[in-house]
Amino acid sequence: MKQTKIAIASGKGGVGKSMVASTLAMLLAKKKPIVAVDCDVDAPNLHLWLGENEKWDKVEKISTNEMPVIDHSKCNLCGKCVNICAFNALEIIKNKPVVNKLFCEGCGACEAICPQKAITMKHIKNAEVKIKNNVWGFPLVSAQLYPGQTGSGKVVEEIKKRAENFNHQIMILDSPAGTGCPVIAALQGSDFALLVTEPTPSGLSDLKRVLQVIKHFKIPYGVVINKWDINKNLSGQIKKEFRNKLFGKISYDKRVFKAIASLTPILKTNLPAKKEIGEIFKKLKF
Amino acid sequence: MFKVERIAVTGGKGGVGKSTVSILLANKLKNNNKKVILVDCDVECPNDYLLLSQKFKDPVKKIYAQFPKLDQKKCQKCGFCVSKCRSNAIFQAPGKYPIFIHELCSGCGLCWHICPHGAIKVEEKLIGQVFKNKVDDNFWLITGRSVGVVDETGPIVTKLKKYAVNLAKKVKADYILFDTAVGLHCGVIRALINTDLAYAVTEPTPLGAHDLKLILDLLKILKVPAEIVTNQADLGKIELINKISRQTKTKIAYQIPYSKKLVKAYSKGKLGEIKIL
Repeated sequence: MKQTKIAIASGKGGVGKSMVASTLAMLLAKKKPIVAVDCDVDAPNLHLWLGENEKWDKVEKISTNEMPVIDHSKCNLCGKCVNICAFNALEIIKNKPVVNKLFCEGCGACEAICPQKAITMKHIKNAEVKIKNNVWGFPLVSAQLYPGQTGSGKVVEEIKKRAENFNHQIMILDSPAGTGCPVIAALQGSDFALLVTEPTPSGLSDLKRVLQVIKHFKIPYGVVINKWDINKNLSGQIKKEFRNKLFGKISYDKRVFKAIASLTPILKTNLPAKKEIGEIFKKLKF
Repeated sequence: MFKVERIAVTGGKGGVGKSTVSILLANKLKNNNKKVILVDCDVECPNDYLLLSQKFKDPVKKIYAQFPKLDQKKCQKCGFCVSKCRSNAIFQAPGKYPIFIHELCSGCGLCWHICPHGAIKVEEKLIGQVFKNKVDDNFWLITGRSVGVVDETGPIVTKLKKYAVNLAKKVKADYILFDTAVGLHCGVIRALINTDLAYAVTEPTPLGAHDLKLILDLLKILKVPAEIVTNQADLGKIELINKISRQTKTKIAYQIPYSKKLVKAYSKGKLGEIKIL
């Protein structure tokens, strides 16, 4: 059976990606087997939107990254590793090459170039995968990149792989903000992307930034305007610009802020947002 | 000796008001007759220029990175590069030439250094631009922006900061404010590193609290002193943030109440006129 990957993205943070992703996941789960993936491995929040606390069925430390370990007895200070490093993560300090782990991307170029074979790449635990079958009847696969660690894109790839193991027809991927490596990893291979924006100059600008990635991968997409009524002029402009891509709009509502402050999922409220996301759900023909 | 105060504004979570707080801080400092450079380090989605109604002219600096390019005449299709690339950015169908997937490539250089046949050449590609806006006599905005689909945006931030520090020396600035991207990734780390103080902006919700803890952890690792700024402080549950402040012994520097005036100024690009800090 055909499995479908739907990504929720936005470019700008805090515009309502996880709100839309969590509510759509709950609605979809009533009809089909689904799995949800929180690709925001820097600061994962989707479990909170599902009204879940931090108790997981499974937590597992993983390694998606390697770091160089230097054998100083073999090193002759030739400096080749320092020169090759594209991320300025190596420096010779007091006659010793030192790795700045905050800058190191784990590419292994230093290991390959070292004529003395003084550098060995070693796996490090840089993240943990967290899995939970929630009360809404579907599994959530989430991950936390440890603060200060690099390699978020590979962590996203890893949790997407883990999610494949669950019986599902639809995979919902909640993308992080931005356009960089974890976003690319989240969007790659998606069958459809729902792009959430808000009618502010920043919301629109960031929508166009993430569209560059979407168009690059030729992913079909739809646009949702959250808080559409805070600037009806700009919402009108967005509607005009994305006419046949518009999948719906959600009204601004202070009560949404209050609902999330008390960890109440939108689907458990009677707010207009519930109905409005329901309309978006109907438009998704999966 | 030249000394400029380097302050970062960060937060982990998106949409909590990092850019707003950065501009409000800049307003406060320049109104106290300080010379301020605001650096928009969110190179994936920079917005400070919009909030200040600035337009970009030609970039003052272009940032390039190196990427691999295949020399088919020399390539023996041995697949060595494919097996060594840790970014999985080289694809090779059986019996075919390898293909470099630029949007997954970090530009690390491993492949062109290890190719046994010298078949991988280096190509420079534009990955970022730096823009300079003089907003008023005592206030500069420096913006970094990635170009096209860029996997590794961290190095753009490092070069952007270098440009800003040089400018600070030239104009004898008192403060540099670094407005970081969302999250905790390499671009954020590079923006935060070597700053004298970081404001962690948050909102009084479980989401804000969750991400605040993470960014405070990161700042501790980076040895950057932190203070908290609570935005929309009168909505939601302020106790969530106060508790983290107590537990981590992090001072709450500012509490900014929800304000229609602020929201309006944000959406109209007039944040430069707001004096509330």
